[in-house]
Amino acid sequence: MATAALTAGLERIPDQLGYLVISEDGVLASAGELENDEHTAGVMMQMVRTASRFRLSGSADPPFKRMSVILDDFVYTVTVSGQKVFVVKRQHNQKEPISV
Amino acid sequence: MGCCYSSENENTTQEETKPLISPNPPSKPLNGGTGWNPGTSSSALSNEQALLSSILTKTAQNIIDVSAADAIMVEPHEYMDRARQYSTKMTVLSTSLPQNKALALPSLTSQPHQVLASDLVPYSDVQQVSKIAAYAYSAISQIKVDAKEDLVVQFAIP
Repeated sequence: MATAALTAGLERIPDQLGYLVISEDGVLASAGELENDEHTAGVMMQMVRTASRFRLSGSADPPFKRMSVILDDFVYTVTVSGQKVFVVKRQHNQKEPISV
Repeated sequence: MGCCYSSENENTTQEETKPLISPNPPSKPLNGGTGWNPGTSSSALSNEQALLSSILTKTAQNIIDVSAADAIMVEPHEYMDRARQYSTKMTVLSTSLPQNKALALPSLTSQPHQVLASDLVPYSDVQQVSKIAAYAYSAISQIKVDAKEDLVVQFAIP
């Protein structure tokens, strides 16, 4: 899958602030606030590698599709597809749910 | 993984397995063995000397002294031949080794864009999970040992 095809879909994600596409060899693509952010790439790789080793009892597959690292103002959403790790930094301004 | 000299392939030629530098047999006699311990008897001393010299022999056989070896005579064409042989063997071995399955990242989805674009985790869910984790932490921190009896007792000898 060409890099352009990978990143075009990520560009269109609403409220995205930046993204990374990472492989075992290193960062394939980066943009926005994550442009050239090798440090975040390294941390996300380690986190998703650890998380994908979790198993619920009796299951052979990882029990999740997406890992979210939720911070105050933004969220890192991370998934793995075809030996590549995708990280998207998205705006996150849900605090108290507004009840009218 | 195997040590340097282990080989499963018995068809290697003599040229390939001959060591480049022949191991140096020990030529130096053990010096300083006499008179350093004047208290022991002569028979004990010679036993010690024999032990020490055997240790020295074993060590010398296992150590290859690169600086003391004669200059290695290898024809340039033979050198190139060997280099090519080794590199082809390396590439064959590296491609035939099985990939380490345990280290490969399992694919979580075939639709990464859809998964990443979908709604974020609702704040209420995050709050609930944080509360559950806090309760679990508090419960675990309250686990303590309730010592009823001594662990170590004396046997009563009548």
